[in-house]
Amino acid sequence: MLYQVKKLVKKFGNTSVLKNINLEIEENEKIVIIGPSGSGKSTLLRCLNLLEKPTSGSIYYHGHRLDDKLYKSIQGKIGMVFQNYQLFDNLTVIDNLTLAPVLNKLMSKEEAISKARRYLRQIHLEDKENSYPMDLSGGQKQRVAIIRSLMMNPEVILFDEPTSALDPEMIGEVLSLILEVSREKITMIVVTHELNFAQEFATRVIFMDHGKIIEEGDKEQMFKHPRTNRLQQFLSNIQ
Amino acid sequence: MGEIWDSFYQTFIFEDRYLYFLEGIKFTLIIAFFSILLGLILGVFISIVRDFHKQTGKWFLLSKICDIYVYVIRGTPTLLQLMILYYVIFKTSTLSPIIVGILTFGINSGAYVAEIFRAGYDGIDKGQREASKTLGLNYLKTMRYIIFPQALAKIFPALGNEIITLVKETSIAGYVGIVELIKAADIISSRTYDYFFPLIIAAIVYLLLTFILSKVMKYGERKLNHVVSG
Repeated sequence: MLYQVKKLVKKFGNTSVLKNINLEIEENEKIVIIGPSGSGKSTLLRCLNLLEKPTSGSIYYHGHRLDDKLYKSIQGKIGMVFQNYQLFDNLTVIDNLTLAPVLNKLMSKEEAISKARRYLRQIHLEDKENSYPMDLSGGQKQRVAIIRSLMMNPEVILFDEPTSALDPEMIGEVLSLILEVSREKITMIVVTHELNFAQEFATRVIFMDHGKIIEEGDKEQMFKHPRTNRLQQFLSNIQ
Repeated sequence: MGEIWDSFYQTFIFEDRYLYFLEGIKFTLIIAFFSILLGLILGVFISIVRDFHKQTGKWFLLSKICDIYVYVIRGTPTLLQLMILYYVIFKTSTLSPIIVGILTFGINSGAYVAEIFRAGYDGIDKGQREASKTLGLNYLKTMRYIIFPQALAKIFPALGNEIITLVKETSIAGYVGIVELIKAADIISSRTYDYFFPLIIAAIVYLLLTFILSKVMKYGERKLNHVVSG
């Protein structure tokens, strides 16, 4: 088992954002987390790589308790793709891709560059390797951000609303890259509002509301035969 | 016309008085250069200590010491700091007044530089640090390759201001007997009882210095500009 989340609680001040989350994630699962804004989806995702420190409860990664020490030792094996891309503004595309794997001694500079170029060809941005992020469109930035996380040979990639900041005409190119990546043996957890994408991508769908997991199951069950009122309501509201 | 020539002659040529100016310019340049250097080194170091504490919670004591240093330096006049260093702390030492001047202005500038860099780090989207963390980069690498270069580009104009302020502030070094530019002008005018040329010359030299500095800073700003995306 890759992740085991037990009785996870996260509070910001007096507000409970996550209330007693229990969750198990197997290797190679493709999970989509849906739910209204403020339901705690992103916070749950950010707890899975300790960008947020759980208030109580515990998270196990490969059976070991995930703390700062463990997180440090797995160096970039839990990748993340952010809503606002977060490419490094001061570095060119190629440097964005090669910086971390080289500094972490995952590969030599030459290996990193040739690997980065392979990925850039795959996303048809080979002519952008010396561009700075400010010269890329939102869709291009997000695709570079996705291959940047792939450069680290991750076991998991967490996607935090990867298309929410994009202009509508760029959403497709990013989602289809995520689908392409999903053929690899990488566990992927995606917080999104794109239900059509979820239909195609997910092996499991999790529905959250008010800091709790309300319902989870395969996409067939979740989208065609939702059991809870809240999920039924949520689905009818956004379709 | 004859009067002006006479004044010029008395100020510069008689008894080789221009040598005082050259000496003054030399010491102003030496003090300015080394205190800018010291100020930058101190300021960057202090800003990183405080930021490290802020990000990780470690190094509490060292960070507090830095806080106090910045607070004290910014809360007292530079002239007073110079006098304390010269007349109290280094009273019995044989340290050259020039060194005391460099120490004073460097330590003084360090506090302001630290604040400027702090504003720079704080102005960077915290997502940049998060992205770096998820890629397995530790604090120092994140600082070195991502945060510092971006901050530097953003604060460059403010840093330029600080450097120019510092250069002008070195003019108070005359108080402790250092013959920098203003002191040189003062010495000569006290002999000739004619203030016009000495002071005008001092002003022109300062203007020239700050003009060159601001050109250099502008050049640096342009070089770094691609980093600042908006």
